[in-house]
Amino acid sequence: MTASSLPDQDRGVGRAWRIGVDVGGTFTDLVLMESDGALSVTKVPSVPGDPGAGVMAAVTAAAQARSLSSEELLAACDIFVHGSTIATNTVLERKGARVGLLTTKGFRDSLEIRRGLRADPWRHREPYPDVLVPRRLRWPVDGRIDRDGAEETALSEADVAAAVALFREAGVEAVAVAFFNSFLNTRHERRARELLQRDWDMPWVSLSGEISPTIGEYERSSTAVVNAYIAPRTVGYLTRLTDQLAAGGLSRQVLMMQNNAGTATLAQLAERPATLLLSGPAAAVGALEFFAEAAGSRDLISMEIGGTSCDIAMMGGGKVELTDALSIGGYDLALPSVDVHTIGAGGGTIAGVDAGGLLFAGPAGAGADPGPACYGKGGRLPTATDAQVILGRLSPGAFAGGSIEIDAARARHAMEEHVGAPLGLEIGDAAAGVVRLLEQKLLQGMQRMSSERGHDPRRFTLVACGGAGPLHGASVGRRLGVARVFVPKLAGAFCALGLLNSDLRQDYVRVHFTELDRADSATLDGIWAELTAEAAATLSDCGLIDGATAFERTADLRYRGQQWDVTVPLGLEFDAAEVRLRFEREHERLFGHIQPDGAIEITKLRLSGIGRVERLRGRQSARVQSRPAPATRRERSVWLDEIHGWREVPVHDEGELLSGHSLAGPVIVEAATTTVLVGATDRLEVLASGDYLIHVD
Amino acid sequence: MSTDTACPAQARLDPITLALVQNRLDYISCQMGWVMVRTARSPIFNQSHDFSCFVTDRLGTLVSQADGIPIHTGGGGFAVRAILERFAEAGISEGDVFLLNDPYVAGGNHLPDWVIARPVFSGGRLIAFTCNRAHQSDIGGGVAGTYNPLATEIFHEGVRLPPLRLVEAGDIREDLWELLLINTRTPDLLDGDLRAMLGSTRIGEQQVRELAESLRPEAVEPFFEGLLNHADKSLRAAVAALPDGVYRGEERFDNDCFEPMDIPIRLAVAVSGERLRVDFTGTAPQMRGFKNSSLANTYSAVYAALLSFFDPDIPRNEGTFRCVEIVAPKGTIVNALPPAPVTMCTVFPAHEIMHACWWALGQAAPARACAGWGKNSFPNSSGLHKNGLTWVLYHWIGLSGAGAVAGRDGFNQIGPIVTLGGLSLPNSETYEQLYPVKVRQQEFRCDGGGAGEFRGGTGVDSIIELETDVEFSFRSEGASRPTGLGVNGGLDGQQASLGVEERSGEAWTPPVYGVRRAGPARLAISSPGGGGFGDPLARDPGRVLRDVLDGTVSPTAAHDLYGVVLRSSGDELDGEATARRRAALAERTGSVAKG
Repeated sequence: MTASSLPDQDRGVGRAWRIGVDVGGTFTDLVLMESDGALSVTKVPSVPGDPGAGVMAAVTAAAQARSLSSEELLAACDIFVHGSTIATNTVLERKGARVGLLTTKGFRDSLEIRRGLRADPWRHREPYPDVLVPRRLRWPVDGRIDRDGAEETALSEADVAAAVALFREAGVEAVAVAFFNSFLNTRHERRARELLQRDWDMPWVSLSGEISPTIGEYERSSTAVVNAYIAPRTVGYLTRLTDQLAAGGLSRQVLMMQNNAGTATLAQLAERPATLLLSGPAAAVGALEFFAEAAGSRDLISMEIGGTSCDIAMMGGGKVELTDALSIGGYDLALPSVDVHTIGAGGGTIAGVDAGGLLFAGPAGAGADPGPACYGKGGRLPTATDAQVILGRLSPGAFAGGSIEIDAARARHAMEEHVGAPLGLEIGDAAAGVVRLLEQKLLQGMQRMSSERGHDPRRFTLVACGGAGPLHGASVGRRLGVARVFVPKLAGAFCALGLLNSDLRQDYVRVHFTELDRADSATLDGIWAELTAEAAATLSDCGLIDGATAFERTADLRYRGQQWDVTVPLGLEFDAAEVRLRFEREHERLFGHIQPDGAIEITKLRLSGIGRVERLRGRQSARVQSRPAPATRRERSVWLDEIHGWREVPVHDEGELLSGHSLAGPVIVEAATTTVLVGATDRLEVLASGDYLIHVD
Repeated sequence: MSTDTACPAQARLDPITLALVQNRLDYISCQMGWVMVRTARSPIFNQSHDFSCFVTDRLGTLVSQADGIPIHTGGGGFAVRAILERFAEAGISEGDVFLLNDPYVAGGNHLPDWVIARPVFSGGRLIAFTCNRAHQSDIGGGVAGTYNPLATEIFHEGVRLPPLRLVEAGDIREDLWELLLINTRTPDLLDGDLRAMLGSTRIGEQQVRELAESLRPEAVEPFFEGLLNHADKSLRAAVAALPDGVYRGEERFDNDCFEPMDIPIRLAVAVSGERLRVDFTGTAPQMRGFKNSSLANTYSAVYAALLSFFDPDIPRNEGTFRCVEIVAPKGTIVNALPPAPVTMCTVFPAHEIMHACWWALGQAAPARACAGWGKNSFPNSSGLHKNGLTWVLYHWIGLSGAGAVAGRDGFNQIGPIVTLGGLSLPNSETYEQLYPVKVRQQEFRCDGGGAGEFRGGTGVDSIIELETDVEFSFRSEGASRPTGLGVNGGLDGQQASLGVEERSGEAWTPPVYGVRRAGPARLAISSPGGGGFGDPLARDPGRVLRDVLDGTVSPTAAHDLYGVVLRSSGDELDGEATARRRAALAERTGSVAKG
């Protein structure tokens, strides 16, 4: 285990500390913010079989680093936020509950037809992932809500009773209810739940119209089913962990990071654990909001590169957009989720030459086991990390606190055998080719997100983070056309840090079809008032926040005949003319055109209830002044890029650099959790916050 | 190793740059697609994705089409070469943009698919074209919506466009633009969609130019050639793995859209070393109705069949098919002569061509054989909304089941074979909001899928109620006989059946082809199932049991076709009785029982 912290950290026991714990596949990261704003990171190995043990170990380690008991540490904690992959892993590893599904008669198979969605039609030989509820446990029930939300046929309680008998017999552990048109009226779904709980005492019932009140029987059913599937295991884990932490001295409720980048308490999540499926990556939003100040921009695009993949998130004007579509392991959900784009490009990405003689890099990866060839853990195929070692950017020797020993000979051997020899290239050229191809994928991932979100990336600051991000940041940023690349000092604990800087948040949505010009503002304001009351009650229940609540209204709109919506932020008083203006502005930005005087329809009203958490305040060094960096102590031969080739490059340890230092590239900075590469024409600046800013040419 | 197309200069290409160029071109053609989705006006583009973006070299050879629907795979080169033939390279200037659709004079596949092609210049040299082929909402012709089932000449199908210079030195030719707009029933949509096509090719042009400038313009061509060679090598290697020989495949229509008749499509796939020849000699003469194919569409269908048969990692550009020769005799339904109508060709006979190729290839490599997909048999209907506007509904709720392959059962319901399932189904709740309809059922058929070691897709039983007067346009290719044919001992999927029951009480069976009016009515479609792969007696008995418990295979079929015997409880296998039953059935059929 390692503990690293800012150089001028105050070690006194403070109050109102914040702790964020992010459990990843390999490491569990804990970020602690003390009352004076000092931040420190503790990294311990994750415990795959028992993620809660990893959390407790991280708490113990963080306490020990301060010569405290873990009880003292937890008692001093005002906010404890947890990001967990438990929900995601339950889906990916198929460890969920046996689920029974109640459907409307005639729609028993919506879940398995999946609207015929295929990610890549050319791969038609690949089967779908197994349906989570086999057909015999999808039970059709008589009763129907019509397209206006009125009851057309009463719910057959006898059919529900028959389902209860079947489910009991079959050992069903959780039930999903997804009736046709329930996005307009949940009465039948709610009645079915009453019956399930009255006749059977079934604790895990997921209603599609409550979890995801949106049009589309497939996505709504699938959302309810995934929710039911993960609920017993996920909620069980969180309950045990919460109890453990409370017994260990934590007096505050544990907050969990949700898909929407807001946090919630266990009580709020028990009904809808599917909102935890993006718990890790969603924390990027809080991190970006925190870095906005140090980076001096509210237009940030982040590239977080780990061992297997790169997560890209974009914050335009201080806002990260949400989408309603989420896909986990081939299962589709309709839940408001942060728009994070994941591409298969990380340190473990495997390179090689295909049957036709062309170089490839990815999408397959070597994962943590066996990992890159240079780790000497049995990996034989060359990866991006091996290429970086060959190119002199990563130094051989102990790594990650000594748990891994990088062996350059193994990297060279793998690269020679699988890339160099087949292509007839010198080993250095082969490794450079792998890095260039990987960086092209990173670049295109960011170009795609910018293009789809209607942003010009050149006005953005690139945030390079994750263990491998700072090696690629300057190079990719230069191609993307940005002027500045920001590398957080805590690059390796990006998401854990984001946890500390996130509000509580609950999203509500109500389907409501009406033409904008005929909309009755009293009706709309009435609906929003109902949603606001619901949100306020939920926020006050968690009792964590003193005062500071906010309620944000948005609506989904479209031109008549369009099949998808644009979400537009609204003021607190509904004003049709103002709404039209905002819609047109957004439509122009996203789609490049508007229909002057076109008929606009409202499809959904949304409300977000937010419990404000006081923002992290970056700690500025008091001793900032422009000054040259200390003389170079080390140099090594590094391949920089296709223009500058191999050069002797000065290498600094992060401890040698202080706020205000400015260095001309090329230069390498070695930090505890990452390595920063600054190109030949770039300039590195150490900010008052201790973070790095690379000015790219 | 054949070297008949390999250029010695290729040896000097930097392999790293080659990989970067390939990856960048694929990104560019994808990005053209994202721009199209974002800016087009018709739902057919932003919802159904019925378009393809591609890049060709300066001679019209397609070098990248990363974002195409499978049935557009082979058409791109035809279109650009038609432009080059008409205007010649010397007549093409910076700032020009071209438009075409005609299958007879302009390398089009069918009239609704319009192609915008934009030349890319760098350093004063023509280096490439960036193109977008997209299915328009309406192009005039006999009926709204581009599909006229009564057409007997191409003139009944809409406006014909030879290669046209739509934009000249940066300026849209307004007179021509107006000509296009007065030839559609939906001028606003066409106007917006054409502009979106122009915009997407402009983005592509900028990016291909930037790519060329990063390489030096004169260096681009060898890299394009390198990519074509790489694809060429990849398919050659796959073909070389097939045993030499001549393999035959046959499919048929049982009607010409007007009356019953037998219309065969015959082909012979000759494999010789690393070359493959597809010869359609023996195929029926072109027909009266609109199920004739243009040459570009026939090439596309053959290419889609080949690529779906082999490894999906084989790159898809025009170099891929250098080892493939296609012989399509003129005047047949796979290479019709004017003025034969062809609008249906991207569905029928593309489906038949893909099947016939699969049957032939399956003999060469039985382990990769693909069972048949049920032929789509759903109609479209139209009527009036309360506000007087016309609605047109394609009854995709009645889509078919797919055929099985080794390792997976057929998809029980999926988009058309010509998209390999790439077009998705709408939700029924969405239909109910958009049209005056109520959807009552959309559920798997029992015993609809062909039995096999891997079972064919079941198809669905669907019921929809139409609440106003309607006009149906039927085209039920899969209703008169099984069309999802089994392979390697797998059985055929069930055929489709349709029924209409009007609110007045009148009930009738729809014709295979034709237009019928009705009052408010209930339409029932049982869509056709897909074919099975392999001997049903080799199917894992546990999977048969699951199908029985799921209600997708009846206990009778389990016993009779799969040789699986259940205990009297009905939910457990009787292992011993199953082994006996399978042995007895195997003896009768001469097959080898497993499991």
